[in-house]
Amino acid sequence: MSDHEHHHHTHQPGHSEEKAGSPGHSEATAGAPDLHDAGSQALSEALRSSFFIVKLAMAALVVVILVSGIFTVGPQEKAIVLRFGKPVVQGTNLLLGAGLHWAWPQPVDEVVKIPVTPTGNLQVRSTVGWYYVTPEQEVAGTEPPGSGTLNPAIDGSVITADRNIVHSRATVTYHIDDPRAAIFDFGAGTNHEFNLEGVSNALLNAANEAVVGTAARFNVDDILTDSGGEYHAAIQRRITDLADAEHLGVAIDLVEVRSVAPRQLADVFAQVTSARQNREKVVTDARADAERILNNATARAYSVTNTAETARNNFVQSVRSEAGSFTNILAQFQGNPRLYEELELAKAMSVVLTNVQDKIYLPQRADGQPRELRLQLNREPQEPNQR
Amino acid sequence: MKKNAVTIAIAALLLVIFALLLFTFQVRQSEVVVVATFGKPTDTKNEPGLYFKWPWPVQNLYRFDQRVQTFEDKFSECYLADHSLVLASVYIGWRISDAKAFYPKFQGGSIEAAQRQLEGMLRTAKLQAFGSNSLANLVTTDPAQFRFEQIEQNIQAGVQRQLDEHDYGIKVEFLGFKKIALPEKVTDSVFERMKAERNQYITKAQSDGDRQAAMIKSSAERQAADLLNNAEATAKRIEGEGNAEAAKTLPVFQQNPDLAIFLLQLEAMKSSLNQKATLIFDERTPPFDLFRNLPAANSSPTQ
Repeated sequence: MSDHEHHHHTHQPGHSEEKAGSPGHSEATAGAPDLHDAGSQALSEALRSSFFIVKLAMAALVVVILVSGIFTVGPQEKAIVLRFGKPVVQGTNLLLGAGLHWAWPQPVDEVVKIPVTPTGNLQVRSTVGWYYVTPEQEVAGTEPPGSGTLNPAIDGSVITADRNIVHSRATVTYHIDDPRAAIFDFGAGTNHEFNLEGVSNALLNAANEAVVGTAARFNVDDILTDSGGEYHAAIQRRITDLADAEHLGVAIDLVEVRSVAPRQLADVFAQVTSARQNREKVVTDARADAERILNNATARAYSVTNTAETARNNFVQSVRSEAGSFTNILAQFQGNPRLYEELELAKAMSVVLTNVQDKIYLPQRADGQPRELRLQLNREPQEPNQR
Repeated sequence: MKKNAVTIAIAALLLVIFALLLFTFQVRQSEVVVVATFGKPTDTKNEPGLYFKWPWPVQNLYRFDQRVQTFEDKFSECYLADHSLVLASVYIGWRISDAKAFYPKFQGGSIEAAQRQLEGMLRTAKLQAFGSNSLANLVTTDPAQFRFEQIEQNIQAGVQRQLDEHDYGIKVEFLGFKKIALPEKVTDSVFERMKAERNQYITKAQSDGDRQAAMIKSSAERQAADLLNNAEATAKRIEGEGNAEAAKTLPVFQQNPDLAIFLLQLEAMKSSLNQKATLIFDERTPPFDLFRNLPAANSSPTQ
């Protein structure tokens, strides 16, 4: 600064002389200010270019910041944006679906990704009440052979109210009703990531509890037949109640329940089923017989009354016609009753003699005594070789 | 001057960002953060958001997962009050309710360490709850005896009591039976009993079927007999009606009863002597009485 002051001071006379109008002197003193201008100009240029670079860098930084906020959500995941740790609800949906999204970069926003199944269907199956099957057997629908006893460490089972043992399991299909609760309230062990594993575990436990607790108050036959669907309904109700009470944030869509007798008793259970079916068959056959008996009886009764009706009509009709003919005959008869009788008898005899198959004439004995006639009513059939 | 202002603004912004990083911290939705001042826990933040703190080494932060953790205990033998033996496993859903109390108790706030502690407490509470109930309280159709859920609640209360006594900063959110089964040696006798029951059912089904079938058939036969009896009675009535109807014509025949009887006899004779009949007659039978008047009556019988 002092140099500058000095420099300024030393040029003061020259400056006054320039004012006096001496051009020659003016040329002689012009070298120093020119040097100064060039220096400041260079400095100013340098500063200007530095500022330009800074501006450029800032603009680039802004672009980088904006671009770094872009993120994609894959088809098998959902995303939640946390702003200062708190979930940001975008629109009505907390969960962001597949596609391109933007959020402020860290540390303002944090994008949390949650893996989901491709179909979106969530399912858990209770594990404790079923015997052990390998995945291959499960797919093939085959069963492992049953040994004499049941080892509870290997094969699951449930105890029924009548203290029997059966296998029973529930398959629960559900969807996430409250993502905030389902994702942020349930952890899976020491895993600090966000996923649906925690809530899935909790629901699986609820399904296990429901199967064990419901089987405990139903008898074995009510579980295996479940004709009224009460066992199934009780399990579904219990799972739903537990999911609500534990605030799992899920809604139960469907509960499928399957129960089977222990494999060790499969034969005897099958025999019961067969005996019951046979009972039904015997009863059904008896019903068919009963119907046939009743139908026959109805037909016979109908025939009896009809025959009686016909006979009555015929009888009445014939009596009437006889009465009519009697009236006609009466006049003839009264003319000569004996003659009439003889004539009618002779006519009748001729008809009778024409019609009868065997006619035996038995002339009176000469002494007037009656003849003895022996009739063999039951003739023995003639044997062919004697013929 | 303008350029200087921009520079100052940028510097200030950087300063603010630096200060924010240094003097603030975030709490995530699922977390709870304990703030320790010179190593001593002074504050707990369990709501998500941005909070102020003094930079290290004045204040330190300890973060914990505030979510419900589930685990289950070992599938182990439990004796009931009636000396029955069952195998049972219980699941438990717990979470850190007081992080300030929790973190000094478990090294580094370890979830595994907490669960190990919980398992011990659970075993004690489970044995106590089973010991004060019988098998009839666990499996029955009688709602008055069924105490399944109460037993679960008792175990939960037992675990929570132990946690509170030692101020572990843990809350049991839910607890339930995961599995209850009979020991392997018992299953054999259960299967034998079940088999005997099934055989009874088979016999019952057979006799039931026979009984029902017999009842159905005899009932049908009775109904059929009733039907026929009724029909016979109706037929009799109809016959009577016919007779009554016919009787109305009696006065006609009464004009000459001899003729009426003669005609009836004639008719009866004609209808009784049909084609398959055998007629044995002698010369007293008209018209063969004509033979009586023949000069020599010595002809042989004609067949």
